[in-house]
Amino acid sequence: MNKFSLLACAVFIVGCGTPATYKDPQGRELVVSLDKVNIQDFATAGSQMLQSMVSSPSFSKGAPVLQLGTITNDTADNFDTSLLLSKLTVPLVNAGRVTLLDNEPAADPSARPKAEYVLKGKILEDRSNAGSTRQSSFVFQLTLVEVKRGVAVWTEEKIVTKQGTKNAVGF
Amino acid sequence: MKHLLPLLALGLLAGCSTVLETGDRIERGLTPPDAVNYATTRPEGGFTTQLNDARIGNKIELLAARKSKTDGGYTRVQFDLRNGSYLRQTINVSFEWLAADGTVTESQPNWIVTPLEPGALTTVTATALKASSAECRLRLITR
Repeated sequence: MNKFSLLACAVFIVGCGTPATYKDPQGRELVVSLDKVNIQDFATAGSQMLQSMVSSPSFSKGAPVLQLGTITNDTADNFDTSLLLSKLTVPLVNAGRVTLLDNEPAADPSARPKAEYVLKGKILEDRSNAGSTRQSSFVFQLTLVEVKRGVAVWTEEKIVTKQGTKNAVGF
Repeated sequence: MKHLLPLLALGLLAGCSTVLETGDRIERGLTPPDAVNYATTRPEGGFTTQLNDARIGNKIELLAARKSKTDGGYTRVQFDLRNGSYLRQTINVSFEWLAADGTVTESQPNWIVTPLEPGALTTVTATALKASSAECRLRLITR
């Protein structure tokens, strides 16, 4: 009986768990974490920000020259803020809607266009719980500043809120 | 010890995610699949729908689709959706843009979670980034 029980334990230990598989990063079977910003949160906030940004009058015509400013990560989670910015800059640059200035110095500085707009922002978090239910809200704030006048011409805030007792997979 | 080991095995079984996933699969087998539904604007106005998840037809009503142009000449589309059921529904929407010849020009890389209270009406808006984007395809799933 002892041997049989040990064997049963071993089978369960070996057979337990789900093997790692590849998932569509744009799909709906991704891990939802309560204590961190997930990759799909950047995509959600980024795409909503993008839609709002292209609807602003500053982006109605031509391809304005854009410089990326500082995005402050004011959360406890350590991540690269370009995860958010790329969700805006990649579609905008590829669609020819902005001229994005590179951070590297130009070979011919005189040929480098001057920035018309600077995009800056902040990512914040708010956590609370009720009993075993935890809630995390991540606040994404972006502001587009017109360099010439030094005024904000577009600003947007998107909040991603997640609630539950443990991390999960899917929506 | 003799009684402890089977108990331990039982404990491992109860906490095992594989077993839970099997249960989830059975549950999904008993309910209709979570299929993606589509609503596509037409050049002459209005929209066409492709309903792949029959459940959504009883819950979410697609009331209207409006198409306009921005000052820069880019296409903007608004879809009016209504939760016609007696329960709170969460729908997930995403957009794809099509050129006049039907080729896909842009695709939104994520789902936007949209909770809807019973009877609530919401308008989802999308603006094309490319001038060639003429028609919009709304993708909808219920969960």
